[in-house]
Amino acid sequence: MPSTLTLDGDTSTLDIIGRRPQLQVRVGDATYTVEELPASDDGASTLLINGQPYTVWRTREGDRIHLKLDERTFSVGYQEAVVAAAQSGNAGNEVRAEMPGMVVDVMATANAEVAAGDPLLVIESMKMQITIAAPRAGVIETLHVERNSSFQKGALLVSLHALAE
Amino acid sequence: MLKNVLIANRGEIACRIIRTLRRLGIASTAVYHFADRGAPHVTAADHAIELTADVPTAAYLDVAQLLAAAQAAGADAIHPGYGFLAENAGFAAAVEAAGLVFIGPQPEVIRLMGDKIISREFAVSQGVPVAPSCKQEGALEDFVAGATAIGFPLLIKAAAGGGGKGMSIVRSAEELPAKAATASSEALRYFADGRVYAERYVERPRHIEVQVFGDGQGHVVHLFERECSVQRRFQKIIEESPAPNLPVALRDRICASAVQLAAAAKYRNAGTVEFILAPDGEFYFLEMNTRLQVEHPVTECVTGLDLVELQVRVAGGEAFTLQQADITQTGHAFECRVCAEQPEHDFRPATGRVMTLREPVGEGLRFDGGLREGLAVTAAFDSMLAKLIAYGENRAESAARMRDALNELVLLGVDHNVDYLGRIFTHPAFLAGELHTGFVVEHAPALTAAPLHTDERAAVLIAAILGTDEFRRLAYDCPEPHASIGHWRN
Repeated sequence: MPSTLTLDGDTSTLDIIGRRPQLQVRVGDATYTVEELPASDDGASTLLINGQPYTVWRTREGDRIHLKLDERTFSVGYQEAVVAAAQSGNAGNEVRAEMPGMVVDVMATANAEVAAGDPLLVIESMKMQITIAAPRAGVIETLHVERNSSFQKGALLVSLHALAE
Repeated sequence: MLKNVLIANRGEIACRIIRTLRRLGIASTAVYHFADRGAPHVTAADHAIELTADVPTAAYLDVAQLLAAAQAAGADAIHPGYGFLAENAGFAAAVEAAGLVFIGPQPEVIRLMGDKIISREFAVSQGVPVAPSCKQEGALEDFVAGATAIGFPLLIKAAAGGGGKGMSIVRSAEELPAKAATASSEALRYFADGRVYAERYVERPRHIEVQVFGDGQGHVVHLFERECSVQRRFQKIIEESPAPNLPVALRDRICASAVQLAAAAKYRNAGTVEFILAPDGEFYFLEMNTRLQVEHPVTECVTGLDLVELQVRVAGGEAFTLQQADITQTGHAFECRVCAEQPEHDFRPATGRVMTLREPVGEGLRFDGGLREGLAVTAAFDSMLAKLIAYGENRAESAARMRDALNELVLLGVDHNVDYLGRIFTHPAFLAGELHTGFVVEHAPALTAAPLHTDERAAVLIAAILGTDEFRRLAYDCPEPHASIGHWRN
């Protein structure tokens, strides 16, 4: 299942598409070969991405990953896919709001097929942007919100139905 | 020699003062608010006394508690650092009245220099140049005549006002009468006082300041100049010594003016005289800061003197015998102020927690911080976290060292300006020393972070996701067929 990350307000999905001989990760439409070298004594690690070396310092703090990649510092928002799924309601067919907020971005389209963990919406609640992922594989039945809609806690955001067998 | 010094401050400057006290064999006493418990300045000091206050900053401003803490710790002197009570004449007087040594100038000198109008008049009386100005006393026509005599361009503003209301720049004698009338009517509307004020408007001004040191009897020396023109939101972010592209003869005249002013005030201990330097080489007294400055390390680098040591020795009663001829300026030093802020959002202050900290180390580098991993960065205090200082044989070497050191500095967990500072140190105008106080605004587009291209952005995201256990488990731990199902199994 893909992971969803937010950088500078834009959301991206990352997916593992191969593990051997080397880790292969798809980011958006592109695929990258990833190799990690052992961390140095001072805590920095070296990452080879498509053969290009990067020095990485990294720390995780809740749903944020702070990192310095070579000479630049970044803060990336992350939500564990299972958390995203669990938050959206146990019925699996209903994606509901855990907190009041506003829709920042809509990735889902009605009648589209989605895989579990696919990002559906980005919402903003309590000044945090949170990606709402599909709780299960299925087809989007109804989008109950659009970009810039605001909603209350418990509001139904997206309805899914099962894939036809 | 003093035996025990209480530092009425916190953060990097408290740590820096403690370092010199330790080297001199003098005991140090820190004070702290509960919000700063366990902070480096508290653990570094020999003694630490908690002050109570509802608001953290109020603790460091509580004169009665500070004096009580000094008595309780057996301190014989108080160092105020900068900020907080450092330029509070009442505090300096209260310290002395309590029988303690105030490490700084005489209370009456703090009072003299603390008043903008009185200090300006004092400068004029000593022949120190101030920006020509004229204030409307009677009819508007008389004001126009007086203002014309100053020369152009001029800045006219409400005599009673502030905040830019009724302010305008006048570039020629022809437009003065109309603009003066407009300013006057705006002044009347906003401040119920139609009188206007004019002063020489300096375009592309530089901020040049001079470090001085006096014995309190009239013997004053200077420790050369600092250039502090790179500012954002009217606050310095990069300082250096010597000032680039400043002719020696002009530099000497500015330093001599500073010494003249301080000597006339019989200045005691360390102080800084600030000037505005116009592109035509004219310079004007701005104000005197009666304390140790944030940017004092660049002066220490180029003179080889420890300013805190000088402060403590003179305050402890040692004769101040340093002569001007003994003081030299060698090499070049830069200081960067590392601040918790978002340069891409108009330098808005940021909060967070220091999760990872790697201080740069190397030849010619100094990192003055009061940081440790785990420390919360809150809105309770100033956004300056630390100072990075680089020293080299010349400006180019010093700048290269600073650039490398900024790249090497790792500070994760709170937004900061380190990347932004790094971009300044690659900007051609900065490297050429083409500085003025509007530098940051003038070069704003070039100083903005370059947008990430697709592969760079992917690298950031991949590097980030590898910091999560969930992803690592999926990527490395699971046997192939199992992992391909992913987390979601029903």
